[in-house]
Amino acid sequence: MAPLSLYGVANTLVSTLLLHLAAVLPAPLSTLASNSGLITALSVLLFGAILLGASLLNTILLIWFERKMLGRFMDRRGAMHVGYAGLLQNFADGLKLFRKHTFKPRDADGLGFFSAPTAYMVTSIVMFGILPISTGWNSGSLPLSLLLALVVFSFAPLFIFLGAWSSANKYSLIGGMRSAAQMIAYEVPILLAVVAVILLSGSFDLSTIVAEQRNYWFWGPLFLALLVFVAGMLAEMERIPFDLPEAEAELVEGWNTEYGGMLFAFFMLADYARALVGSYLIVLLFLGGWTMPGWVPAPLTNFPLAGILWFQVKTYLVFGVFIWVRASLPRVRTDQLLRVGWMRMIPLALLSIVLAALVVLAKCLPVFGCVPSVGG
Amino acid sequence: MSEMWINMGPQHPMTHGLWNLRVKIDGEIVLDVDPEMGYLHRGIEKISEDRHYNEIITLMDRTCYVAGIAWEHLFILAAEQALHVEPPERALWIRMLSEEFQRVASHLMWYAAFVQDIGLMSPFLYGMRDRDLVLDLFQSYTGGRLTYEYMRVGGVRNDLPPGFAEQARKVCDWLLDRFVEYDRLCSGSDIFHRRCDDLGVVKAQDCIRLGITGPMLRSAGVPRDLRKDRPYAAYDRVDFDVATAETADVTGRYVVRMEELRQSVRIIRQALDWLDKNPGPVMADNVPRWMGAPYAPVGREGYLLKREYPKGVGFSAIEEPHGEALAYVVNEGGEHPYRVKLKSPVFVNLSAARHYLVGYRVADIPPIMGSVDICVGEVDR
Amino acid sequence: MAESEPTPSSNPVLWVAKPLVTAARQFGKSLFRPSTIVYPFERLEDPKFRGAVRVAPGKPIGVGQVWDNYRGVHALNIDTCISCNLCAFSCPDLCIDMVTVPGGDPRHPKKCPQIDYGKCSYCGFCSDACPEGCLTMTTRYELSVSKRADMIYSPERLREVFNAKLPMSPIRVERPKNEDAILLDAPLCIGCNACARDCPTKCITMVDLPKPVPKGGEKLPKRIWKEPVVNDSDCVRCGTCISVCPKECLFWGTHR
Repeated sequence: MAPLSLYGVANTLVSTLLLHLAAVLPAPLSTLASNSGLITALSVLLFGAILLGASLLNTILLIWFERKMLGRFMDRRGAMHVGYAGLLQNFADGLKLFRKHTFKPRDADGLGFFSAPTAYMVTSIVMFGILPISTGWNSGSLPLSLLLALVVFSFAPLFIFLGAWSSANKYSLIGGMRSAAQMIAYEVPILLAVVAVILLSGSFDLSTIVAEQRNYWFWGPLFLALLVFVAGMLAEMERIPFDLPEAEAELVEGWNTEYGGMLFAFFMLADYARALVGSYLIVLLFLGGWTMPGWVPAPLTNFPLAGILWFQVKTYLVFGVFIWVRASLPRVRTDQLLRVGWMRMIPLALLSIVLAALVVLAKCLPVFGCVPSVGG
Repeated sequence: MSEMWINMGPQHPMTHGLWNLRVKIDGEIVLDVDPEMGYLHRGIEKISEDRHYNEIITLMDRTCYVAGIAWEHLFILAAEQALHVEPPERALWIRMLSEEFQRVASHLMWYAAFVQDIGLMSPFLYGMRDRDLVLDLFQSYTGGRLTYEYMRVGGVRNDLPPGFAEQARKVCDWLLDRFVEYDRLCSGSDIFHRRCDDLGVVKAQDCIRLGITGPMLRSAGVPRDLRKDRPYAAYDRVDFDVATAETADVTGRYVVRMEELRQSVRIIRQALDWLDKNPGPVMADNVPRWMGAPYAPVGREGYLLKREYPKGVGFSAIEEPHGEALAYVVNEGGEHPYRVKLKSPVFVNLSAARHYLVGYRVADIPPIMGSVDICVGEVDR
Repeated sequence: MAESEPTPSSNPVLWVAKPLVTAARQFGKSLFRPSTIVYPFERLEDPKFRGAVRVAPGKPIGVGQVWDNYRGVHALNIDTCISCNLCAFSCPDLCIDMVTVPGGDPRHPKKCPQIDYGKCSYCGFCSDACPEGCLTMTTRYELSVSKRADMIYSPERLREVFNAKLPMSPIRVERPKNEDAILLDAPLCIGCNACARDCPTKCITMVDLPKPVPKGGEKLPKRIWKEPVVNDSDCVRCGTCISVCPKECLFWGTHR
C-alpha cells in the first residue's frame, strides 16, 4: 500500500466527485468537469483548506493544552465548563472576541494598525504549509524548505513593530522596540544552530533532514545546538523567560496593548500558531520528526497516520517543556537577554557547529564505513 | 528614542491599586519619576469624626484592604487610650495573634503580587492559595475574610471558637513547609537574583532621612521594629527576632519579608500556647456603651441622643505589615472622636520613589515597586 | 547605580534547576486533585468539605468549621422581633430601615428591619446588638440580582432566609457587662406615659407619685402625677424611651 498523502487524498476526493458529476451533468458541463486542470486546481484548494483547518484546530488544541497544563502547575484546573474539560472554551472565547467592536485609537495609523495583525497571522499560518508533518503530508518537496521556513518565521518582529508603531501608544512603542532589539539577538544564534543541523544532515530540505535522522536523532550529537535553538525559540515565540515585548508587569500588554476584539484574537491565535510551529521545528530538526527509534515495537509505528501521531506527540511534549519553563521562571530583562544572546548563545552555537563538523568527520572514519553525505 | 514621559497608572498592572507613577524615560532608562497619589481618597479621617468609636472599626478595615485587622488594632489602641479603657489580658493576646495572622496574610499577598511583577506565574497562585488558609482561620473566629470588624473598644468581639488552636497549628505547619517552596522558586532561581540584586537600593542613612519604615528600612540593616522597640499588646512577652538584611535592595526586602513570615508563625505558636492555658474574658467590664443610638430613630431625624464620655487623647504606633503606622485620636467627650489622624507607612515609602527608581530601567520598575509592598487604600485613606 | 553585575548570592551551579523542580513537584501534586473547588458545582460549605480540618498534605482545601461563622445575608425571626430599633441604631451604613409588618396593633404597629444590601457592609453590628437574637447573620453569600431594587430585603424576605434553616454561628458575642442604664431627670418628667407605651420590652411601668400639696401661692406644674420606673434586668438599652420622651428627661447614666 502506497503511503497516504494529503494531496493524494484530496485529489482522489475531487476527481471522484467530478467523475460522478460528469456522468450526471449535460454535455458542455461534463467535459468541463472532467478537465484535468480543474481537478488539479480544486485538489490544491481542498488540500489547502484541509491543511489550514487542521492546523488551526491543532493550534486551538495547543491553547487548551497550555491552559490545562499551566493550571496544574499552578494548583488549579484551567478551563472546565465549555465542552469536556473545557475543550471548547477557546472557541467560546474566539466567538466572544469576534462579536466585539473592532476599534482604532484616534491617533493610530489605520493602514499599519489593521495590516499588522493580518500580516502577522498570515505569515504564521503560511508556516504550516511549509513544514512537513509526515511523509507526503506537506505541500510538496521544497529543496530549501528549512531556509524558507526560517525566513517566513522571522518576519514576525517586523509586523510586531509595525503594529506597535502605528498604535500611537508609548507602551506599544517600547514593546515594539524591544521586539526589534531582541530579534537581532536571537536570530543569529538560531541560524548558527541550524547550520549545525544542516552540516550533519547535508540538506536544506526538512524531509531529508528527518530522513537523515532514521538511525540517530540529532539532539544527541547536537545537544548544544538544541539548547541554543530552544532558547532562541523561546525568545522567538515571546514566551516567559523572554517575553519582554509584551512584559505584562511594566508594559501592560506591550505591543498589542491597543488591540482589541478580533484583531487581538488574530495576534493571540498567531502567537500560538508560532508556538506550535516552533515546536514543530524543534521536533523536525532535533527529535527525528515523524520517525521513531528502532526499539519501538512495529505495531506502534506501522499503522496509517502513525507518523503524524508520533509527530504530534513529540510536538506536545516539547511544548509541555515550554509550559513548564513558563510556570517556573521569572522574566529576564532586555539587556540581560541581549547579553545572553550575544555573549552566550552565539559562542555555544559556533561550538556546536564545530561539534557537528567533528561528527561528520567521524562518520568518514573507516570504522563506521560510511560515506559523508556532504560533498568534499 | 528621545526622552518621554509615560504614565504608569492609574490603571496599570504595576500599580497594585489606584495610583499613578509618571516616569520620564530615555529608551529603557528611567530619568525621573513623579508618584501621584490620591485616586483612592475616601476621607476616612473625616468620616471618622462623625462615627461612634466602634463604628470606625468598619472604616479601619477598609483603610488597608490587605491588613484590615492591623489597622483595627492601631485605631483601637489609640481609642482605648483616649477613652481610658483597659482591655483584659486575653484580648491583648488575641489581638496580637490576629495581627500576626494578618502579617502572614499580607506578606503572602505581597509575595503573590511581587512574583507577578518579575514575571513568575505560578507562585502567584501558591501565595494566594496559602493566604486563603489564613483567611479561613480569620473567618472561623471573626466571621469575615477581608473586613473583619473584630476588635472593640475594651476587647475583642468574641473568644476563639473551640478547636481553633488545633487548626491554626496545622495551618502554621503547612505554611512553614510552603515558605521553603517559595524560597526555592524565588531566591533559588538564578534569574531572580539577576533581576533583583542591587535593585532599588536605599541605604540606611537615606531610609532614615526619608522616613522609610518597615521591611524597606530593615532590609538596609536597621533593626527597627516597633514590636520590639515600643512593645504594645503582648509583644514584650513573646520571643521573636527582628529580621534584617544588609543589601538594601529588592532581594534584601524579599529576604526580610520571608524571614518575617517565619517569625510571625513563631509568635502565633507562642500566642496559641498562651491562649490555651489562660482562659478568661475578652471584653473589659467598664466600657462605654458601644451599640445603641448615635442616630435618631426613623421619623425623628436631628434628635441626637447625647451621651458623655470622659475626655482624653490617644496615640498609638504599631508595626503594620507595611511599616510603622501611627494613629492619633482626640476625644472631646462626645460620642464621636473629635479628630482621628492616621499615618500610613506606605505613603512615606511611596513618596520617596524618586530615590530608588531613577537610574534603573523600565523593566526594573515593577520589581522595585513590588518590593515596596503598596497598599493604596492606606496611602490615600 | 543602575548597571550592576549579579552578586555572588546567585547560584550558577544550580542555575534554574531549583524552581523547575519545585514547579514540577507541584504539578505532580495537583495533577489529579488540584486545591481549587469547582465553585458553582462544589461549595466550601458542602458536607464533604465540612467538619474535619482540611489541611491534608498536598491538598490545602480550607480549614474546617469556617462556614458557620461567616457573616452573610441576615435571617430575621419576625415572631420574636420586639421592634427595639437597636439594629437600625447600630448600623454604621444606615442600611436598615424599620418598616411596618402586618400583624401588629393598629395603633402601635409592629416594625421590623428591612436591609438594603446595596449599602450593607456585613459588619455584624446589628446582629450583635439584637437583644432577642432574632436578627442573625447566615452563611448565605450569593447576592447577585439584576435590579437594584432587589438588593433591598424586606422583613418577609429576611424571614424566608430564616426559614431556610442555614447553619448558625456558634460564636457567642461578648458584650460589655455593666452597661449604662436609663436614668430619669425626675423634676422634668410630666408623666405622659410615652416611654412606657413605646418600650419594646414593656419594662417601664408608670408608678403613682403622691401629688404634693401646694404651699401658699406656689403653682403646681401641669402634669400627670406618675413617674416611669425601669426594670433594669428586662431593659435592652435600646434608647426608644429616650427618643420618644417629649421633655428629654430620660438619659443614659450609670447607677451609683
